[in-house]
Amino acid sequence: MNRPRRRPGSPSRSRDAPAAWLLLAPSLAGVTAFLVLPILVVIWLSLNRWDLLAPMKFVGLSNWTDVLTTPAFGHSLLVTVCFVLMVIPLQTALGLLMALLLGRGLPGSALFRVIYVIPWVCAPLALGVVWKWIFAPYGGAMNALLGTDIEWLTSPSLVLPVIAAVSIWSQVGYVTLFFVAGLAGIPPQILEAAALDGAGPWQTLWRVQLPLLGPTMFFVLVTGVISSFQAFDQIYALAPNGGPQGASDVIAARIYFQAFGGAFDLGRASVMAIVLFVVLIVVTVLQQRFFAKRVVYDLS
Amino acid sequence: MTSPDTSLPTPPLWERQRRRLPATIVVYAVLLFGAVITLAPFAFSLMTALKTPSQFASTSPLSWPAPPTGENFSGLFGAHGFVSPVAVTAQVVAVVLIGQLFFSILAAFAFARLEFVGRDVLFWIYLATMMVPQVVTVIPLYVMFTEIGLRNTFWALILPFLFGSPYAVFLLREYFRAIPEDLVAAARIDGASTWQILWLIIVPLSRPIIATLAVITVVTHWNNFMWPLIITTGPDWQVITVATAALQGQYNANWTLVMAATTTAMAPLLILFAIFQRTVVNSISLTGFK
Repeated sequence: MNRPRRRPGSPSRSRDAPAAWLLLAPSLAGVTAFLVLPILVVIWLSLNRWDLLAPMKFVGLSNWTDVLTTPAFGHSLLVTVCFVLMVIPLQTALGLLMALLLGRGLPGSALFRVIYVIPWVCAPLALGVVWKWIFAPYGGAMNALLGTDIEWLTSPSLVLPVIAAVSIWSQVGYVTLFFVAGLAGIPPQILEAAALDGAGPWQTLWRVQLPLLGPTMFFVLVTGVISSFQAFDQIYALAPNGGPQGASDVIAARIYFQAFGGAFDLGRASVMAIVLFVVLIVVTVLQQRFFAKRVVYDLS
Repeated sequence: MTSPDTSLPTPPLWERQRRRLPATIVVYAVLLFGAVITLAPFAFSLMTALKTPSQFASTSPLSWPAPPTGENFSGLFGAHGFVSPVAVTAQVVAVVLIGQLFFSILAAFAFARLEFVGRDVLFWIYLATMMVPQVVTVIPLYVMFTEIGLRNTFWALILPFLFGSPYAVFLLREYFRAIPEDLVAAARIDGASTWQILWLIIVPLSRPIIATLAVITVVTHWNNFMWPLIITTGPDWQVITVATAALQGQYNANWTLVMAATTTAMAPLLILFAIFQRTVVNSISLTGFK
């Protein structure tokens, strides 16, 4: 492949192209085969009925109309949105609170920071199993601690908040670290100026620190929302197959059980996966717009 | 509402510290409470893993194991065959770590430091693929691997991740671009090849971000669950998370054994974390700000 020189005056640049494509080749092959191609395949699968055994049968848009008109799928999306709305505000607020406390620089803060990150290092699946024991009605730690015999994970009204709490527990430390770094990036002169102008801690937080945390907040919210929408491992451990009366039937688990939970209904599962993808894109764009409207100060 | 105090001169240091004391106590109380909540599940699950089933049945779940027993762990690695999942997972992590670092470094260098037609469009496509959720790709990947006969093999566990990830390329590219152009230009004048510039100048200067990527890769792939769950069946290529989930499904009420399994699944990364905690903590902060 001979590419035309863009800037003939610069000898180093014309030498670049063959080397660049050579260096890119493995990564490009990987991205094409395992990220781009699957998207085309999933679209194709969504137009077919196939259980991997009988021959594949092209059915046009019938999987799409099936999925979009059954209440089960709408219910699953609703459960997912509820889950995200339980997790994100609390997780962000708690993370910010812990970061503000750690940011006071008291002795021992570094140790606390390390402790809070521990759940992030552990497999979400393993943590899910640990919490399943903790919430076990008999022999579980939570009921022993509270002296109750509550059926935490089999009660339709409790299961989703419990899973949300476990999710928050495992991610707060990670979120805290980002806020610690974001707060540390605010120049102390600005905080001193605010204090001289008579701003209390509350005013400083709302008027100075939060606006200056814009980029951090954007990052934390976008990555948090995206990962919560896809929550799977802990839910698989805590309340598989939709949970009691479908109360924990989040979308990622629904897709998994539709595709691999016995029926091998790959066509409908593909439709759900594509819808989830579109939802995630829309949510991300909306968040981007929301933050673009607000003034973001570049302090670098 | 301005309190009359503000017009007074700043009180002496000891006075300010005395006033801050109650606030400091509250801060420590909250920090400590957070630490206890974070650590308690680990402590309780380890205590359970060290009890015999009859101890577990006859005592409170919160009680200390008296005496502690290794019975669950010996059963886990003996009769329940947990040696293989640990070994398989370790091999997957090692191979993916090397492949991902090597190929991501190559690609990031091309994006950051070389000029070629279509570079920016291609990089934009890389960024776009970062948005693709795993749950969207696992179904087509399952079909693809089944069609080429690689289902339930070691290859299936590593191939999708071996050639680097767009996220890794993105992080490395940002870092590579920040390295002063003068260094690269000087090396070129001295006759260094592109390959030498990459490995002798760029890579040694990028150790922090490479360490970051190594941490993220090890954590992600040791803990990976959905893809191994889907693409493997039976005990041959079971990774540690899948084996733990299977054990829990099979011995639902046998919590002492199951907690031994979760402890085993988490312990290696916890030990690594204890050794490299500074790198890990700095790593997480670094990924958010570039």
